[in-house]
Amino acid sequence: MSRYLIKRIAMMIVTLFMIALLTFILMHVVPGGPFTQEKQVPQAVLDALNEKYHLNDPLWKQFLDYMKGLLKFELGPSFKYQGKTVNDFIGNGLPYSATLGGITLVFVLLTSIPMGIVAALKNGKWQDMLLMALATIGVTIPSFVIGTGLMYIFSYQLGWTPTYGVDKWQGYILPCIALGGYSVSFLARLMRSSLLEVMGQDYIRTARAKGISESRVIVKHALRNALIPVITVLGPTVANLLTGSFVIEKIYAIPGMGSYFVNSVTQRDYTTIMGMTIFYAAFLIAMIFIVDIFYCLIDPRIKYD
Amino acid sequence: MRKMLSLLLALMMLLSMTTIASAEATQEIIYALANEPDGIDPSITNNSFASPILVNAFEGLFTYDTTTGLLVYGEAADCVVSDDGLVYTFTLKDNLKWSDGTPHTAQDYVYTIKRILIPETAAKYVTNVTDYIVGAQEYYDGTTTDFETVGVKATDDKTLVFTLKAPISFFPALLSMWTFSPVQAATIEANGDQWTNKAETYVSNGPFMVSELNLGESVVLVKNPHYYDADKVKLEKITFRYIADQSTSLMAYENGEIDGMNTVPSSDYARLKASDSGLVLSAAYGTVYYNFNCEKAPFDNVLVRKAFNLAIDRYTIINDVAQTDAEPAFSFMSPGYVLDGEEFVEGRSDFGLSDEADVEAAQAALAEAGYPNGEGFPEITLSYYTNESVKKIVEALAEMLETNLNIKVKITNADWAIFYEDVLAGNFDLCAMGWSGDYVHPMTFLMLLKTGDINNLGGYSNADYDALVNQALSMTDDKAAMEVMRQADNLVSADYPVLSLYYKSNTMLMNPAVQGYLVTASNHLLLKTAYVAE
Repeated sequence: MSRYLIKRIAMMIVTLFMIALLTFILMHVVPGGPFTQEKQVPQAVLDALNEKYHLNDPLWKQFLDYMKGLLKFELGPSFKYQGKTVNDFIGNGLPYSATLGGITLVFVLLTSIPMGIVAALKNGKWQDMLLMALATIGVTIPSFVIGTGLMYIFSYQLGWTPTYGVDKWQGYILPCIALGGYSVSFLARLMRSSLLEVMGQDYIRTARAKGISESRVIVKHALRNALIPVITVLGPTVANLLTGSFVIEKIYAIPGMGSYFVNSVTQRDYTTIMGMTIFYAAFLIAMIFIVDIFYCLIDPRIKYD
Repeated sequence: MRKMLSLLLALMMLLSMTTIASAEATQEIIYALANEPDGIDPSITNNSFASPILVNAFEGLFTYDTTTGLLVYGEAADCVVSDDGLVYTFTLKDNLKWSDGTPHTAQDYVYTIKRILIPETAAKYVTNVTDYIVGAQEYYDGTTTDFETVGVKATDDKTLVFTLKAPISFFPALLSMWTFSPVQAATIEANGDQWTNKAETYVSNGPFMVSELNLGESVVLVKNPHYYDADKVKLEKITFRYIADQSTSLMAYENGEIDGMNTVPSSDYARLKASDSGLVLSAAYGTVYYNFNCEKAPFDNVLVRKAFNLAIDRYTIINDVAQTDAEPAFSFMSPGYVLDGEEFVEGRSDFGLSDEADVEAAQAALAEAGYPNGEGFPEITLSYYTNESVKKIVEALAEMLETNLNIKVKITNADWAIFYEDVLAGNFDLCAMGWSGDYVHPMTFLMLLKTGDINNLGGYSNADYDALVNQALSMTDDKAAMEVMRQADNLVSADYPVLSLYYKSNTMLMNPAVQGYLVTASNHLLLKTAYVAE
């Protein structure tokens, strides 16, 4: 197991390095620079800016300097926002994104798994039809449509929730539903099909034949195996939810990290592009890693050497 | 039971107290901004998104009167201009203070200019200093290290002297720009470029001061008790909240959660205008136009440029496509400059153009240029920066040009960063552009068509025009200068250097209960004397 862990961690570092390198190359290949603005800035100012942010150094040196900073967890100054660092963006935005994501994750787990179980147990009955119809809507309608629609009904027409921001706890309700809608639907469908498949297995029949109560068959024997596919997709889902959704954050004006990531690309804010990409990538890789470890705990058949 | 009664009574008293409190309007407003500025250091940024914060937290020697809209003294109490128009001697108002309560003197202005002239500061509006003040360019370039040679001096705590390179009559208007707002040396020296990151270190001198800076979320301003005119300031608190999504801010506005917003979604424009919803419309000093590449065929030919200007239907573009309130533009120069009650563009020719397309005249001009009925005319590219509302206009324009001139038009678009680099490199035929005056004076437009100006993107060049602009720049008499500038405008407009569409207007939404504010022609929202009416 420890050998496996070391191997995995080494692979993670290599992956991250490759991501950093590719991002760096791609970002410099795209035309346009960070200082192209609304109004033309005199050449002397551009020179001063390039000097200040070391953009006159050869690219390999810029990359090396960046990697050195990265080892100290310094993601560098933003080229776009004067006096701000990429660490500021993450430090300020992550708490908002993570709080929203954390609440949404709880909401997703508490709704999707029971939904999937009920749908599977009532396979073909009206409960199944209703839940799967809901899930289909959740998967097919984009989150920004759900977000705006919910806002129109509950904030604008009914006035139950604030339109923007998370200053009050009510502010979290709509963004959570809009952000989690897709995941709820997707996980519920996955849970349903996975549970249906497991319920048809021989060992379930054996368990039933032994005279174990139906509820025990489901909880003890079926669910544990049916959860494996769900846990597999849970890793990326958690990463997605916790690091925030640009669209939902924009609609509800939540000051999370998403907007800096997306805007940095059009603004050619090099350090922000790098910093955000690496942060997201590291988070995603870590989540997938944790999920792999979880397999061992859930399924005794899976072993790592 | 008695306990219950007394509790109920207490509760009722509390409730009645809150109703009394809410009967008197609280002097607090929330105003939504669609974009976060790239910085709020007045010496450095040129970002229009910073305007609501900077114009309310800072004040320079000149500002705008919120009732009349005219340029008036800000921190200056008096100004004496030398006969040759080169030396401006300012006397500052008494007892000026920073928002932290420390005294604020003429030396602060000198410090501000000096800081702008250090290349490491990377002040984006540095040309506003180097172009006009004696010795500034040399100091900035490093050809001299002696700041004494730069034409800005504080002879005592209250006297400030500027020496100019040329007698530019729009110097007061220039001084109203935030670039010339003073910044405090103490906080900058203590905190470096981090001084704008925390409310405690963000020292300012205007009617309001910053009390909260929430990255990506909001900037909160409160009344500055040390402001010289604090008695006139009525608002206690202004929250500028960043809301990127226009439909969100519109819902919040219509719900009464916010008091105003600085963008109006064009799809809702007609509805908002028809209802009594607080749509505020004000004339802007700006023009929406398309740049011809005057250096390349076919647009090096004035007849082709004329044909294009004749072939478009400005009325349709304004009312049906852009769906805005704006005046059609027959020239690059926007109306808005008034001298002694006389509007600059009063009595100006329409240069043969009208609201609607004149297809016959357009085709005649094109034929005269050597392309009868569009024959032999090269396919031209109409490029624009990716933006939904610009896209609509571009598509309508292309359609009009193709139909009316019988030519081929190709449309391309790209992110601003890519688009603008191409434009700067001259890789375009016809491109979307716009200009808003930094200050209200015709020179802010005239300079853009001068040979070699950094913002002359179309590469237009005309020696006679350059001579007239230079002549106007050197004149001390405003009235005479206006006549020369009019000549220059007439000369250049008859040459159709750009495809002019319409003169900009500023729109915003503001709760009708909020009164006493001013939106200047440069689209600055001055809240100094604003208040919430009961």
